Amino acid sequence: MLGKLIKHETRATSRIFLPLYGALLILTIFTKLALAFGAPDFFTDNVATNPIIEVVLGISFTLYFIAVVALSVMTLVMIIQRFYKNLFTDEGYLMFSLPVKTWELVLSKLIVGLIWSAVCTLMIVISFFILSLGSFSMMDLTQGISLAYTEFYSTFGTSLNVFIFETMMLIVVSTISSILMIYVSIAIGQLFNQHRIVASFGAYIVITIALQIIGSILMAIFALGNLDIVISQGNDGEAMQMIHLLINGSTLCNVALCIGFYLATQYIMKNRLNLE
Amino acid sequence: MKWYIDSDRPIYKQLVEQIELRIISGVYTPGDKLESVREMAMDAGVNPNTMQKALAELERMELVFAQRTSGRFITEDLKVIEEAKKTLAVQEIGAFLEKMKKLGIGRNEILALMEKIEEGEKADDHIKH
Amino acid sequence: MTILSTKNLTKSYGKKTALSQINMDIPRGRIIGLLGPNGSGKSTLIKLAAGLLVPTSGEITIDGLAPGVDTKAKISYLSERSYLSDWMRVIEIIAFFEDFYPDFNRIKAENMLKDLNINPDDRLKTMSKGTKEKVQLILVMSRQAQLYLLDEPIGGVDPAARDYILNTIITNYKEDAAVIISTHLIADIEQILDDIIFINQGELVLSSSVDEIRETHNKSVDGLFREVFKC
Repeated sequence: MLGKLIKHETRATSRIFLPLYGALLILTIFTKLALAFGAPDFFTDNVATNPIIEVVLGISFTLYFIAVVALSVMTLVMIIQRFYKNLFTDEGYLMFSLPVKTWELVLSKLIVGLIWSAVCTLMIVISFFILSLGSFSMMDLTQGISLAYTEFYSTFGTSLNVFIFETMMLIVVSTISSILMIYVSIAIGQLFNQHRIVASFGAYIVITIALQIIGSILMAIFALGNLDIVISQGNDGEAMQMIHLLINGSTLCNVALCIGFYLATQYIMKNRLNLE
Repeated sequence: MKWYIDSDRPIYKQLVEQIELRIISGVYTPGDKLESVREMAMDAGVNPNTMQKALAELERMELVFAQRTSGRFITEDLKVIEEAKKTLAVQEIGAFLEKMKKLGIGRNEILALMEKIEEGEKADDHIKH
Repeated sequence: MTILSTKNLTKSYGKKTALSQINMDIPRGRIIGLLGPNGSGKSTLIKLAAGLLVPTSGEITIDGLAPGVDTKAKISYLSERSYLSDWMRVIEIIAFFEDFYPDFNRIKAENMLKDLNINPDDRLKTMSKGTKEKVQLILVMSRQAQLYLLDEPIGGVDPAARDYILNTIITNYKEDAAVIISTHLIADIEQILDDIIFINQGELVLSSSVDEIRETHNKSVDGLFREVFKC
């Protein structure tokens, strides 16, 4: 049933996202063309020759910028809206009467939300890449990358791959935990008999503040524990060790948050469900 | 033929009466096969269980008989139908007399009125023809 | 035989008690009217059975099981709200139901749509409230469920469609299934009911068969209802 839920969730969301991605792609190509014909030296000397072209470029850049922002905002809005509207308003009457487990409902929304977050990021990266084509040579790029690898290794004594992998892990896990934090806030809002949306916002703010306080305390403890490295800043290897610890520690904390948020959300949905 | 279920009496009794009336008046002829309970219920717009109950009552009255495999049929025993007809007529007349009594109209007056009405109907028929 | 059973079932929202100490057993093969004025707790009872609410105390079982995935598969539930997504086309919703309910009969649904002149390619948002209600009821009645929970199924539809819908209800359920219809429009559905349950202010007032009421009170259920709940 999880697969079917994911299928229908994807169907329900793609009708919003696919046109948006299409719009982004069109704007990217348009901007790129405007650049290529109107200001071929844009990246080097930053001077547009013709005032008309300047206006066209201005408009297309503005539209492009709006599209990128809209895409990011829409992804967030859809994550919230699909969870809230589909489960806790009238549509919830259907979703909760389906013969599926509560965790399948939560997980299907989470997975699809995560996929769209990833696709959104990827789309923006691709779009930037298209836009900047021609401003650099592929050879320079690959050379630069390999140089970075060797330099990183000689300075810190570990492979850059490990560092990238760990950072990616942190990004993925913290994305999941921030989605789940939205879910748990919405679920907490459902515990109230009135003003549920306000209560959800309140819950979100309270959790944010609590996490910030806890985070600061943990950071302070961490800094105090590694005071010598923080002050001396001498040994690159030791500093890298500390960054490692910081990244992986954050990942672990986020994993703990994910579990906590998920269990709380599921508990509320299973045992305290009160659709209006 | 339409079904009328409107009074405050039990629905199955109203169904029994109406089916009985159909049998007596020849809408259903002796030996006819009845539709299935579900179809009859749908036709009358009533619950199948209620229709079932009504048919069971008609079976008890021997106006309808069931054959295990092929369904329900109207009785072929004309005597039973005749009997039912008579019972119904007696009931109707009883109710009629009761009403007349309330209006303060006696036996002779009723007969006189009836004759007069019948003549009027005949005259009407004449004119129409 | 029993499909739905409750024991001291109580549900409160905060301080407000919506249902209090309800005890009942509903057998298979019957059409039951759940009757009561607005706010009497009809919807709450149905939502508890559908697994959309959790009891405050007491218990409710469907075919001997507490509400969960297994009971939801046996129940076909029509909410009093419009619970379908507005942007969907009727065919998409049919595909959705077909995916989640193995007992869903697509042919039945398509025939009913045809009978009621509803175009399967139409989107819900272009439809009137009454048509949406019809679509929802068609979906619910196209399942071969064991328990149908219909919350105010005929509220907004025209008389012709209402008759069609009532006929659909009569003819579609199987002998081993039960249908619970909650409504305050009693006169309209009285003829298709076997039994009725009156609830008022969260309490069970009367539970009886329709013919029993007519026999003992010499009144239709509608008449009795008006008398019991006289304002």
